[in-house]
Amino acid sequence: MSKKLLFAPLAVFALAATACGSDSKSAGDTGAPAGTTAGTTAGTTAGAATTAAPAAGGAACSAKIGFMGPFTGDAASIGQEQLNWGKLGIDDFNAKNGTTFSVVETDTQLDPAQATTGAQKLISDTDIVAVLGPAGSQEVEAIGPAMTTAGLVYVSPSATRTSLTVDGKMPTFARVVPNDDAQGPTIANFVKDTIKAKKVLIVDDQTSYSTGLADSATATWKTLGVEVLRESIAQKSTDFSSLVAKVTDDVGAVFLPWQIAANAQQFGTQLAEQGKKAVVVGSDGVYSPSDFSLEGAYVSSFAPDVRGVPAAASVVAAYQKAHDDKFGTFGPPVYVAAQLIATGIQATCKDGKPGTRAEVTTAVKATKLADTILGGPVALDANGDVVGAKFYLSQIKGGKYTLVG
Amino acid sequence: MGQFVQLVVNGLTLGSVYALIALGYSLVYGVLKLLNFAHGEVYMIGAFLGYGTLHMLGGAADPALPVAVLLPVLMVVAALGSGLVGVAIERFAYRPLRTAPRIAPLVSALGTSFFLQNAVLLVVGARILRYESEKLVDVSSGIHEGVLNVSVMRLLVIGVSFTVMIGLMIFMRRSKLGKAMRATSYDPEAAQMMGLDVNKVIMVTFFIGSALAGVAGVMSGLVYNRVFQTMGFVAGLKGFTASVVGGIGSVQGAMAGGLIIGFAESFAQGYVSTTFYDVVVFLVLIGFMLIRPRGLFGVAELKKV
Repeated sequence: MSKKLLFAPLAVFALAATACGSDSKSAGDTGAPAGTTAGTTAGTTAGAATTAAPAAGGAACSAKIGFMGPFTGDAASIGQEQLNWGKLGIDDFNAKNGTTFSVVETDTQLDPAQATTGAQKLISDTDIVAVLGPAGSQEVEAIGPAMTTAGLVYVSPSATRTSLTVDGKMPTFARVVPNDDAQGPTIANFVKDTIKAKKVLIVDDQTSYSTGLADSATATWKTLGVEVLRESIAQKSTDFSSLVAKVTDDVGAVFLPWQIAANAQQFGTQLAEQGKKAVVVGSDGVYSPSDFSLEGAYVSSFAPDVRGVPAAASVVAAYQKAHDDKFGTFGPPVYVAAQLIATGIQATCKDGKPGTRAEVTTAVKATKLADTILGGPVALDANGDVVGAKFYLSQIKGGKYTLVG
Repeated sequence: MGQFVQLVVNGLTLGSVYALIALGYSLVYGVLKLLNFAHGEVYMIGAFLGYGTLHMLGGAADPALPVAVLLPVLMVVAALGSGLVGVAIERFAYRPLRTAPRIAPLVSALGTSFFLQNAVLLVVGARILRYESEKLVDVSSGIHEGVLNVSVMRLLVIGVSFTVMIGLMIFMRRSKLGKAMRATSYDPEAAQMMGLDVNKVIMVTFFIGSALAGVAGVMSGLVYNRVFQTMGFVAGLKGFTASVVGGIGSVQGAMAGGLIIGFAESFAQGYVSTTFYDVVVFLVLIGFMLIRPRGLFGVAELKKV
């Protein structure tokens, strides 16, 4: 995740997305704050709460949820997408359950220092019982100690760094996406079972992300009895054609754990130029429908394109109606994280008020969502990772990403 | 065998691009005895000019002109644009320093190089852009016979490069301006005394050298597709290496040097290592310099005793 977000500052896109993002934000703002004020008054003023609760039949629960994301700055295109999906998640939950949960936004700009300041702000607001976000692994690491001390639960929709959940140092952290360790094995199994390749070439791009992923896939392939060849080429190399010339006919698949989608596209084009039949499989770093559109190639992602998930159809339609169709894989997991948090808070609600932060933490981590827009159930293990989480694989057909595994 | 043939094709393509870059270094060194380290950036700007023109004309997927017209247009626009950038660099970064100690224009060249890189970063952004040339001409077109795979784009690049180089050689030998360039390169003072406008000759030299780099930029965009603001650094270094291997100041030398570096890179990637191929390329340079310090076509400098 951290690496992918580093590639997000694509000036042109960021500008475009900020522009449309601010439109949708102002549109959302006109609706949400009304609920926010109502909710806050009801939640904080004891008198109001007691009068409000019976009026709503003792069920109407109101609470404040912190929402951290890179809403401005270089990664704003991702941040605005996350903001829209997160708000939609809370709004949908409120509409279905008669609750009045509201969000308090904090902009992190994908900067650990900003995230730390923002986290302090949310912690000091005692009405806030849970936090949605932040987006980046480096931000999660930065705010971890403070959030642990405060006992405040936070669910990231996109932080995939494995170490975040390994040692139990951040007991109030959870995520709805898989960790990086799941990617290598997911791809390795897919290549063996679906592409049925007996010999695989891995080309790393000499970054730590790439070599790590290449190593992890290699380990799985070795246990599966797949022969693995390994090459390595720098991201800024001019030409891949001499490397492509080394691909022999018995190589069934070429795995590119790269970060620059345009490079993977070029590699695939040169394979075709030399008449090689090996199938290209890209990691989540090259998941980019605009830059990587090699016909027949596969690409993995930490979340699916929800446009292809049947269970997500109505939510996707609602999102497209309210905003636009320009979302990728960073937004939809926020919807699920919002659902998870809201369900957890509601479970602790008594007389229209949520339980303590500790109670909410326990409840959120115990929450099980039977079906989500990501195409499967979400339940957390003791470390805050999704049980049975895996990466998703899409195949590119006619320029479109189709979910295949 | 199949791999060998393919590596020859790759080396020839890569060498064609390097040779055009090397020519610019050589021409400028010839008349000014200056290493124009901003030359790689001129190549990068050429690649971006080609990209911009391609997109103004509808992009690779839906070009407004037939491909046979479009490609020459890209090259001409990039050549003219890069040529003007080269002339501007000479006018503002080198001419004021012409009588300064030799180190001054070198520093100025490095500064210009950083300036151009960052200017492009500011205007275009850091994202790697693609020509998407496979949408212009299908990669499966061209020669695909057994082990030999040469796409139309590669044939075009190799063909254009050789045509341009031969044209330049004829220009240098036959035309008045070419003779003036050679005279200035041989002895600028004497040339001036014979009534040559040395400033004009230097300007033309920069224009031609930079225009060639611009064409090389478009060729690189068409075959290797990706353009980004730091692409000129390594390419410039290779072009410089090529001109040194060939004998700096010599037109034939730059051509031969470009091809040698292209083949060295391609074979090093194919048979040695895709990780360390640049090491191999520069080892070739060092080895070559030890054996023949003047380069392939270099002439020993006359020294007055």
